[in-house]
Parts: sequence; C-alpha cells; structure tokens
Amino acid sequence: MGSAPPFMSRILIIGYGNPLRGDDAFGWRVAERLLELEHDPAVDILCLHQIVPELMDPLSRADFAIFIDACAGDEPGAMVERRIEPQSAGAAPFTHHATPEALLAGARTLYGRAAEAVMISVAGADFSLGSELSPPVASRLDEVVTTVLRLIATRCTLLP
Amino acid sequence: MPRQRIVIDPVTRIEGHAKISLHLDEQGRVEEAYFHVTQFRGFEKFCEGRPFYEMPSLMARICGICPVSHLIASAKACDAILAVRIPETAVRLRTILNLGQIVQSHALSFFYLSSPDLLLGMDSDPAQRNIFGVIEAHPEIAKDGIRLRQFGQQVIEWLAGKRIHPAWVAPGGVNEPLTAANRDRILAAMPEALAIARRTLDWFKTGMERFREEIRTFANSPTLFMGLVNGKGGLEFYDGKLRFLDAGGHVVQDGIAGADYAAHIGELAHPWTYLKTSFYKPLGYPEGVYRVGPLARLNIIDGCDTPLASQEWAEFRELDRGAVLSSFHYHYARLVEILYALEKIEQLLHAPDILDPNVRAIASANQSEGVGVAEAPRGTLMHHYKVDRDGLIVWANLIIATGHNNAAMNRGVLQVARHFVQGNKLTEGMLNRVEAVIRAFDPCLSCSTHADGHLALEVALHAHDGALLDSLKN
Repeated sequence: MGSAPPFMSRILIIGYGNPLRGDDAFGWRVAERLLELEHDPAVDILCLHQIVPELMDPLSRADFAIFIDACAGDEPGAMVERRIEPQSAGAAPFTHHATPEALLAGARTLYGRAAEAVMISVAGADFSLGSELSPPVASRLDEVVTTVLRLIATRCTLLP
Repeated sequence: MPRQRIVIDPVTRIEGHAKISLHLDEQGRVEEAYFHVTQFRGFEKFCEGRPFYEMPSLMARICGICPVSHLIASAKACDAILAVRIPETAVRLRTILNLGQIVQSHALSFFYLSSPDLLLGMDSDPAQRNIFGVIEAHPEIAKDGIRLRQFGQQVIEWLAGKRIHPAWVAPGGVNEPLTAANRDRILAAMPEALAIARRTLDWFKTGMERFREEIRTFANSPTLFMGLVNGKGGLEFYDGKLRFLDAGGHVVQDGIAGADYAAHIGELAHPWTYLKTSFYKPLGYPEGVYRVGPLARLNIIDGCDTPLASQEWAEFRELDRGAVLSSFHYHYARLVEILYALEKIEQLLHAPDILDPNVRAIASANQSEGVGVAEAPRGTLMHHYKVDRDGLIVWANLIIATGHNNAAMNRGVLQVARHFVQGNKLTEGMLNRVEAVIRAFDPCLSCSTHADGHLALEVALHAHDGALLDSLKN
C-alpha cells in the first residue's frame, strides 16, 4: 500500500487512558511502544485520553480495530483479550464516557459499516495520580505489545 | 408540607462537575435555586514562581476542550510583558487557530451536548437523550455534528501540530509559519463545513417554535452583555476593545482596553460554589450582572464582516427589539458564530502574506505586568500576570467566561425552576429543563474554577430534622 490518506488505514489501534493516572496509562503506553515498532502505512495507531464519537468515522473505514485499555476489578495484571461487537450505548447518563461497542454501533449506523474489533484489557492495581505503571501491570507491557503485533501480522496477511 | 431541597447531582452534559439545589417553601414552590460548582483547580496559585514564557503551555492545561483560548489569552499577556508588537501574519494565524476552536467547541456544545434535548425532546427518555440517541434517531444530523467538530479539530492540528494542548502559540507570535499544503487542506475541506453550518441553521430555525416555553423562561431577564468588538464595532474573537451593552440594546460603555479590565469588572466569591462571580463595577452587584459568550457577542456588535453570517446575524437580531435576552438563544447564536468562523478562516487564509515566514518577535521581559484578552467559545477570557525582575510569575488572575456568566446562570436556574418545578409532583423532564438552561450557557467548569486569593468555604452542620446547629466560614 502506498501513502495512505488520513483514516484510510485498514488496521486501527487505539490505546487509551489517562497517562497521569497510574495504571490507567497502560493502553497509552502500549500504543506509544507500537508507534516505535510498527511502521506499516496500513496501520494507524492512536494514543488517546478517551474514546469519542469522532472515532466512528475511522472505525467505519478500518477492517480491523484493536482497543487497548486498563480496567478495574480483576486481579492486578490479569489480561483479557476478547472480540467485541457493535452494541448501542443504552442508558448513558454521562456523555463523557463511550464504550468501544457503542462506537462500533455508531460507525455502522452513521457510515454503514464497522471494523471487526478486539479489546485487550489489563486489570490495574493503582489509578491514583502518577505517571508510573504498577509492577503487575508494567510486567504485561511487552506481552500485550507482542500480542498486538501478532494480531496485526495475522490480519495483514489476510488482507487482499 | 415541610421545606424541602431537591438536588440535581451531577448536572449532565456540561464540561466539568456541578450540582444544582432547589429550595422549596412549605407550599412546594421553588424559593431559591443554586448552581454549585463543586470542583476546584487553583492554577493561579501553582503557577507562581514559574517563568512567564512557560505560561501559555501551563495555562493550556486548564482545559481539554478550549486549550487554544487559554494559549492565546496567555500568549497575549506574555506579548505585553515582552512589550512587543507581534507580526501581522502571526496575528492572523492565531486568529485562525482561535476560530478553528470556536468551530469545534461550538459543534461539541450544540450537537453532542444540547441537540439531544432539541431533537429528542426535553421530556424524552433520559436513557436515550444523549449523542448516541441522536445517532439512532437522526443519523444525518449526528454525522454533520461529528464532521463539523472534526473540521475544527483538524484546523487546529494542521496549524499547530496537534488537536489538544498544542505548543505552537508562543509569546511574541507562533513557532512555525503556515505551509501552503496545510492552507490548501483547510480550504479544500471548507465547502463541506460551510454546507453543514448552513443546513444546521436551517433546521434549527425551523424547529425553534417548539421551544416557545423554554425561550420564554431560560434565563430570559434583563442583564448587561459584554464582549470584544473590533475597530468598526464588528464581531471580534482575537483582539479589539471591550463593550458593555444594556438589555435595551444601548451601549453602556465602549472602547475599554483589555489591560483596563480591573477598573470595570469586579469579582466576588460565594460560600456555596468554587466559581467566582463577576460584575460590572460601576453598577455594583447584583445590578451589574452581565452575560458573555455567543449571545452576548451577537448582541453587542454592530455587524459582522462576512456575507453569510452577516445575513444570519441580521435575522437573529430581529428576535427582540433591544438585546436578545433569552439564554435559549445561545444555541442559535452559536450556530451563527460557527458560520462566521468558517467564512473568516477562509478570508484569512486568502490573505497575501498568510505564508510569510516572519511569525515571531523575540524579546526578553520588558514590562512587569501583562494582560491578555480574547474571545473563547464560551465568552471573554482574561489572563493577567505580574512578574519579578527575573521574569518569574509573582501573581496571576484569570477571569473565565463561565465566571462572567455565573450570576446570570444562577438567575436562569431560579427562573426555570420556578416555572417548571412543583415540589409535590416532580418529573424528570422538569429537572432536565433546569439542567438545560445551564447547558445553554455551555459552561466550562474545569476552566473557570480558580483561586482569587480567597477561597470562600462554608461548612454547615444540620440536625436530623434539618435545623442548622452550627456553621463555620473562612
């Protein structure tokens, strides 16, 4: 593929979270690392504080999307990789919060299609102010980067 | 029936954190209403001791929605400390950047935050009354909103390198000239943005009749209005002088230099909110309550210098004989300003020297004090700094649009609550209207909660029956 126009890449990587809120920076850190390692013009990598409706447009243009985020609740460092499907937002009292599923649903409603997508989340231990990842979360960084690179390689070979 | 208090917490679809409390009398009628801003930032204090040239980048961190406004007001205050006149091309580039932000922020306010009320109805299911509900019910309008916001963000990115917290604006001008490629990219995207702005105005005006009751009661009361006007009395976002207008549409005071704001604007703190309240000093408080932002800007001007927005402005001003008073019309004014911003960006990009490489004046601190004033999406933004001999900040004061509007917002909440809320029969739609009047102002609370050297705080101790046992004030 030659020089890709904006948002025309086939694979979209979205690492998101607050880089000043401890483990919430996990998705951001993974995306930063990927920016150093992955230079295929068919792959767009975004570091974002939060996911917003403007992403529906690029999600409708991509063939495959990977969301990377930190989550709360599980054993710190626990990693989950799961396929996600478009799903409407339902009750959403806080409009500052959107889910990847809702963005995929919006992409399909507004633009007629949505990327296939997976979500990779790692349970955080500490979300207080700070720019360092906690040890159990930091220890997952390389593994998740490798996982995403593997997914990219797999998808790229499947592309026409 | 005992006296009661209704609390709406949090207020949704605004920038930042706030709650509203309504106090009812024995008959269940609304007696008092308060808009409490419950977050506190303190930028004015922790910037003390920092070099003045760091201020634009520091101050931009106040907000993720309108960092460009803070960059510009801060850089203008620093220009004054440098005592330089910045290159004309830098003025134009800063203006384009500011207008790009007007577009993206107004699109956010109108489409993402308020259009759910306007399109789905004030009484519609709150679970659907959000941008995702608009996507389901009105996908073409939602697509327009997203596209328009993208355009504004793209202008910022193409000029300044990134969409949020760019470092391109600096004391003395901007860091890099505009490239021909980026100028052409903006111009190429302009026809679509203009078409969206025009059709949005069309459907909004057509549907306005359905909101007669809201128009009549949404902070619809006489106040002053304030904002910047240019040398011809026209719409101005970057420079110009301050003008105060009364509710009858008469100019109260004109030609106030930004640096002289303190002689005309007073500030006070209330014990029930972290948000300062501003007032017009010659009239005192509360007589000197005024509004800023899109509604105020379209009220105070004598015209605007772009053809399409000029026509829309003339139609807008026919809403009232004097100033347009209903704060519901902030929405309408926001749309007219989007149209103006797009046309003005296009005009400025066609300026013959817009690609001039001379975009920054270099100097050291030559003054011990500087004031920067510009129009942010939500209204007039003021940054005022004092520095020591080494150029380190020793004092700072910020007056943010939402602070200018604080008293008017509180009046609006009371007016709406008295009209729509009856304590013995509450509905969600009633309370949504109380929130919607706040949304009309599009307050940005993360921007506007700062220290003025005195933090007003009151702690009240109530017994189980509600009786006040003790209170403490600082």
